[in-house]
Amino acid sequence: MLLPPTDSKIVARRAEIIAALQAIVPDGVVADKSGLATFDSDALSAYHQTPLVCVLPSTREQVSEILKFSQAEGVPIVPRGSGTSLSGGALPREDGILIGMGRMKRILDIDYENACVTVEPGVTNLNITKAVEANGFYYAPDPSSQVACSIGGNVAENSGGLHCLKYGLTTNNLLGVTLVLPGGEIVTLGGKSGAQGGLDIMGLVTGSEGLLGVVVEVVVKILRKPPVTRTLMASFDTVSAAGACVAAVIADGVVPAAMEFMDGRAAEAIESYNQPGYPKGAEAILIIDADGVEADVSHAISRVTAIVAECGGKTVEATDEKQRTRIWSGRKAAFAAMGKLAPDMICMDGTIPRHALPTVLDEMAKLSEQYGLGFCNVFHAGDGNLHPLIIFDIMKPGEFERAEEFGADILRLCVKVGGVLTGEHGVGVEKRDLMPDMFTPEELALQGRVKCAFDVGGLFNPGKVFPMLSACVEQGHIHVHGAQLPHPHLPRY
Amino acid sequence: MEKLSNETQVADFVRAAHESKSPFEIVAGGTRRAVGRPLADLPVLDVSGLSGIIKYEPEELIVTAAPATPLTEIAAVLGEKNQRLGFDPADWSQLLGSNGVATLGGAASADASGSGRLRHGGARDSLLAFRAVNGLGESYRGGAKVVKNVTGFDLPKLVCGAHGTLSVLTELTFRVYPRPQFFAVLSLSDVTPEIGFAALRKIAHSALEPAGLAYLPGSMMPGVGQGAALIRLEGASRPLEEKLGMAHGLLGSAATRIDSDPFAAIGSGEKFAELPGHVWRVMIAPSDAPRVVKELNLQHWLGDWAGGVIWAAAPAHDAARVRAIAASVKGQAMLLRASTDARAALGLYAPQPKALADVNRAVKAAFDPLSLFNPGRLS
Repeated sequence: MLLPPTDSKIVARRAEIIAALQAIVPDGVVADKSGLATFDSDALSAYHQTPLVCVLPSTREQVSEILKFSQAEGVPIVPRGSGTSLSGGALPREDGILIGMGRMKRILDIDYENACVTVEPGVTNLNITKAVEANGFYYAPDPSSQVACSIGGNVAENSGGLHCLKYGLTTNNLLGVTLVLPGGEIVTLGGKSGAQGGLDIMGLVTGSEGLLGVVVEVVVKILRKPPVTRTLMASFDTVSAAGACVAAVIADGVVPAAMEFMDGRAAEAIESYNQPGYPKGAEAILIIDADGVEADVSHAISRVTAIVAECGGKTVEATDEKQRTRIWSGRKAAFAAMGKLAPDMICMDGTIPRHALPTVLDEMAKLSEQYGLGFCNVFHAGDGNLHPLIIFDIMKPGEFERAEEFGADILRLCVKVGGVLTGEHGVGVEKRDLMPDMFTPEELALQGRVKCAFDVGGLFNPGKVFPMLSACVEQGHIHVHGAQLPHPHLPRY
Repeated sequence: MEKLSNETQVADFVRAAHESKSPFEIVAGGTRRAVGRPLADLPVLDVSGLSGIIKYEPEELIVTAAPATPLTEIAAVLGEKNQRLGFDPADWSQLLGSNGVATLGGAASADASGSGRLRHGGARDSLLAFRAVNGLGESYRGGAKVVKNVTGFDLPKLVCGAHGTLSVLTELTFRVYPRPQFFAVLSLSDVTPEIGFAALRKIAHSALEPAGLAYLPGSMMPGVGQGAALIRLEGASRPLEEKLGMAHGLLGSAATRIDSDPFAAIGSGEKFAELPGHVWRVMIAPSDAPRVVKELNLQHWLGDWAGGVIWAAAPAHDAARVRAIAASVKGQAMLLRASTDARAALGLYAPQPKALADVNRAVKAAFDPLSLFNPGRLS
């Protein structure tokens, strides 16, 4: 993986750049070696680079001044939220300013009359829910890193989670975004009305991976917590039966709040890891949540139970909250459990049309043999978002490279069956060079022009998302060593 | 007028137009041509030949169709599988005095969402992918035919509500939603806008997943006294009964079930079709609705989306006042129906702040550098 070459002329001006930033944010410039080490990567830790300097603004005006400075002086900018990206979106540059948004973490307004909350970008995803849950509300998107990831980062990545099929991604749960453009101008997109009076620039900015500006304020929708949630676990003798069941549930008109698939290997690893009570010998397991008002949920649960039986599966329903939590705890520990099977692991993220699941799983088994590496699959089955986990041992020569190739082949396979390179982790640096497998040169050029519409000088998060020819730093993938992810306290699903 | 029937022909046409720097108007069903700033007497690219459902996969929850596919055809085909589009596309032809056929591409381009937008969002929330020809005459694809995708920029968001100013659409893929078996409409009659909108917000913020929440003053709905808060709930038989019970719990026994479905005539704007003057859609934060309707002080209006949009008929001389009221609550007043002259003077929306207007222009230029497509319609 190659990044643009470091501009030694900028590096030579480091002291002057630090001084200029200190003039803008007197109490928020990190320039010492140990301080900067904290910021040298995001959760894709196989890629790391020490930033030239890190600045931590606490107001939008400071953000604007920093960007004006970067623009005037031609210094690259990399925005960073909490640094939980799994695709290297916040990977710093040796010749660039890392702008960390963690200090802007005030909740500015909670408006129950309009069911929305206005926050600064550094507020964590979970803290939005915590701020409103006493009143029976929550914020729906729930990426697995929600305890740490920031809402500004969620906007940048268009984060998903377990409940996207029913509740959408970040983009479907926003009303407004205030953005500082690369030139320092502050624009407000939408607001409590959600209306923008022109093109849907908010929709474009959401998921733009920090390439178009810095988010300084977000208005999110909050929802009433569903009064009832029930959980079913279904086990199948074959993967194709489970796949057929997922399709049949959807075709029946049921929209589960979550529908998670695990293959036999994943289930076995999880069962030996934290004993959530998964049935032995099953080739595939589904965990299905239904939420809503009591009668809707009963209707959904009875339909799903019947469909599972028709597809040759067996269901167990969680009888109480404790058992629900236990069933889910297994799924949520999938990464950690797989980490016990081998010293190292990488997690991929693609989306496929649901009907392609059996084909994709067969092909992946063949690739696994070809590369001589084990893998398992967890899958947000409701929305077709696949997370293959590839296990390897970095100490064995060549295994890491083989694992990376295996992963890239899986993503190419996703594209081949009509799917995409990434369903929720983002392109970042990790999948950047696979973009031509999904997009034509004309399509990439069009997206490049959209980028230029915001960032003429190309100073904003350069080297991310879009492929390029220039070369310098060799990099790796989401890399888990000794069952330890970066941010090991965060669940990953 | 050039009539085309496939993407290759569209690309050829656009390349020729690019070569000769000749802008044109894109027309499918032709029902929304009177929306936005009028186009000078431009040649018409007739894409009505790009019609029909290309692939419908009910179990994948997606449908792919050509842009000129009539909304009625989509609804009928999806209905056979008990599914529907999420954005409740509205046919504005009666309001706009058109005898054309409302199409999928037109509804998405105009982000014409009806009352059901409340439940599943606007067109931008369910357009997963599209094919189109850009202003250089290049065919391209935006998004992907899966329900979860973050690969590259989210271009489907941009083409919704762009009023055909970015590209010539040639194919659209929407996520579809199950269509509940039954629905019921509750009416809380003879209540003031304050009380009515408050009741709607209460339901909006419940777990009832309402599919329509509107307030109509007595001037728009005879027999409801001062006005009525209308609530559309959906579900299978027993769940619907439970929801009705819960709604009664929230609203009290004064809310009564009515047999008609007034919502069909709300999103289409047809209640305003015979009224003189301009027709506005004022998008605001729902809790501002009572204040906004009071300040508008007009006879003919209604509030949909729990108060998030106020439809109003206003005399032409009120235009600046309507825009000012919308701006005072940080809303947007969209001039949906007006004379050619008024649309030329007022535009579809109020002018944006400079930095945002610059971004809009630059994004437009990224797709269509010579401004060939519907030039000025959205400016």
